[in-house]
Amino acid sequence: MGIHGLIKVIGDHSPNAIRHNEIKNYFGRKVAIDASMSIYQFLIAVRQQDGQQLTTESGETTSHLMGIFYRTIRMVEHGLKPCYVFDGKPPTLKSGELAKRLSRRKEANVNLEEAQELGDAADIDKFLRRTVKVTPEHNSECKKLLSLMGIPYVEAPCEAEAQCAVMARDGKVYAAASEDMDTLTFSSPILLRHLTFSEARKLPIDEIHLSKVLGSLDFTMNQFIDLCILLGCDYCDSIKGIGPHRAVELIKKHKSIEGIIKNLDAKKYPIPEDWKFEEARELFLNPEVLDPKEIELKWKEPDIEGTVEYLVREKGFSEDRVRKGIDKLEKNFKIATQGRLDSFFTTLPSDPKVPSKRKNEGEKAKSTVSRPKAKRGRPRK
Amino acid sequence: MFEARLSQGSLLKKLLEAIKELVTDANFDCNETGIALQAMDNSHVALVSLLLRSEGFHPYRCDRGFSLGVNLNSLSKILKCAGNDDIITLKADDNSADSLSLCFESPSNERVSEYELKLMDIDQEHLSIPETDYDATIIMSSAEFQRICRDLMVISESVSVDVAKDAVVFSAEGEMGSGSVKLKQNPSVDKPEEQVVIELNTSVSLQFSLKYLMNFTKGTPLSDQVMLGLSENMPLLVEYKMDDAGYIRFYLAPKIGEE
Repeated sequence: MGIHGLIKVIGDHSPNAIRHNEIKNYFGRKVAIDASMSIYQFLIAVRQQDGQQLTTESGETTSHLMGIFYRTIRMVEHGLKPCYVFDGKPPTLKSGELAKRLSRRKEANVNLEEAQELGDAADIDKFLRRTVKVTPEHNSECKKLLSLMGIPYVEAPCEAEAQCAVMARDGKVYAAASEDMDTLTFSSPILLRHLTFSEARKLPIDEIHLSKVLGSLDFTMNQFIDLCILLGCDYCDSIKGIGPHRAVELIKKHKSIEGIIKNLDAKKYPIPEDWKFEEARELFLNPEVLDPKEIELKWKEPDIEGTVEYLVREKGFSEDRVRKGIDKLEKNFKIATQGRLDSFFTTLPSDPKVPSKRKNEGEKAKSTVSRPKAKRGRPRK
Repeated sequence: MFEARLSQGSLLKKLLEAIKELVTDANFDCNETGIALQAMDNSHVALVSLLLRSEGFHPYRCDRGFSLGVNLNSLSKILKCAGNDDIITLKADDNSADSLSLCFESPSNERVSEYELKLMDIDQEHLSIPETDYDATIIMSSAEFQRICRDLMVISESVSVDVAKDAVVFSAEGEMGSGSVKLKQNPSVDKPEEQVVIELNTSVSLQFSLKYLMNFTKGTPLSDQVMLGLSENMPLLVEYKMDDAGYIRFYLAPKIGEE
C-alpha cells in the first residue's frame, strides 16, 4: 500500500517536513479524508473484546459505522470540518497490485480455515483480520450515515487519495488525511496521518509538508515522483535491489528514471520487464479526478431522528449513546469558529534580520548529532 | 557582546508571567535599539509581541543583532529565584551564544546570585503586522478589564464586544443564562483607575474567546491601564504599556460566525 519506506526517507532526509500536532489545533480546518482507507482501518481495528467484529443481531458487520460515527464526532467536537472521499474504479495500472492483494486474502482464508480446525485463537484472529475487505455495501452504508450526520462526501472517479490531494492543492480543504503516503506523490501540499485513529491510542497527528520535503531533498516534483516509483508504488514494479538509500542517491545523481536506466548496470540490477514507470508517473501527475472547483462542500445540521432510526432501529446501536453523539454534532454546528491570525497577517520569510550565521551552526549541529525525531526547538548543545 | 542591566528586575519577572502560558519557546531578538519578541501560540490564534527599549536598561550594550532562543518556562523558573527588588543583568556572547547568563543583585548589594540558561535553536514564523487605524480604541483600567473577563467566563467561553459612541458593552451568552457589563465613557483625569476613554470611527461588534483574553490579562501587573484596539473582521489588539521601557501587545483572531 502506498509508497514503500517513504516515511522513513522523509524522516531521514527532511525531519523538518514532519510536524506533530494535536487534533485540537486543527479547529476550523477543512480536511479531505480518504474514506476507503479509514473504513478499512475501522473494520480491522474496531472490535469487541474477543476480537470479533461488531455486528447486529442478524450478523451484519457494523464496525465501519461505529468508526465513522464516533471518529467523525471526535473531529467535529474539536472544530474540524471533515469531508470524506470515496474510491471510484481502480486505475488499470493497479490491477497487478490488486491481484496480489486478492491472492493474499485467499491465502489468509486458507490459513484461517486451518487455524479454525486447529482452534488456535491467536492465529484465527490474525488471519481473520487479513481477510478483511471493504465491500460496496460498507461504502454505501457509510455514505448513508454521513448524509444523515450532515457531513459531506465526494465520490472520486478513481483513486480517493488523488482526489483528496487535488482538493488540498486547490485550497478547497486545508489538508488531505490518509495513511497512504502516495497522497504526497499525488502532490497534496499537506498530508495528515493518524487523524482518524482512536483517541485512546494517544498518537499525535503527523503533518507532512510536501514543499519542505522537496526543499530538503532538493528535488523537483517529477524527481520526487520518480523516487516514489523506485521505492515501490501500487502502479508498477520497482527495480530489485534498490532500497530507499540507493534510490535517493540515484535520483540525485541521474535526475530521472530514464537517466538511471541509462547508467545502471543492467546485470546487477535488472530493469523489470515491460516496466510501466512512465504510465505510473503520468498517473501521479495527471490522475483522473473531479475538478475541485465543481465540488461543493456543505456541512449541514444533522438529521437526529434519521440517524437514530438508522443506527438504533436498523443497526442495533445504543440509543443513549447515539443521541449523545448527535447532540455534540448539533452543538458544534452552531457555534462560531475561532479565526486564525495567519488569515489576517502575512508570514515573513523566516529570520529576515538576524544574520544567518547561527542558522548554519544549527544545521551543522543537526547533521552531526543524529536525533531520531525533529523537535521544533533543539538544544544548541 | 550583549549586556543589559535592569534596575527594576520585577518588570522582567512580570513580563515572563504574562507570556509563558501562551508560548513555550521563543526568540528574544536583540539589537542596538532593544530586545523584541514575537511569537504565536500553537494553534495560531493569538500572538504576543513585546519590546523592551534599550532606554529602559542602564547600561545597555548590544554590538550586533542576534537572537536568544529560550524556553520561556525555564526562564520563568530562573527568574523566580530573583527577588522583587533585585537588579537583573542579562549577558550573552553574541557570536556563539549557547547560554544566557543572568545575574541578580539585591538592592543592598550583599547578595549576588548567578544563573546560566541553556539556549535553543527555534525555527519560528514571523508575521508582519500592519500598522492599523482601529475603528475603535478603548483605554481603560487593566484591573477592570481583567475583572470583566473573569466575571463573564462564568457564563460562556466567548464574549461579544460592542463599541458605540459613548459606551462599550461586553456580553456573554451560555447554557445557564447570559450576562453583560457596560462601561460608559469617563474621561475623569483625577482618578485614572476609573478612566474609560473611547475613540470611535465606526461602531464595531466582535466576538472573542475568553480563554485567550484571560491569558492576556496576565499582563495586568505591568500597567494600570490597558488599550484595546478593535476593527470589524480584524484581530483584537490588547496593549499594556510599560511607561518608557516598552510595551507588550497581544493580538487575538476573532471568532467568525457562519460562512
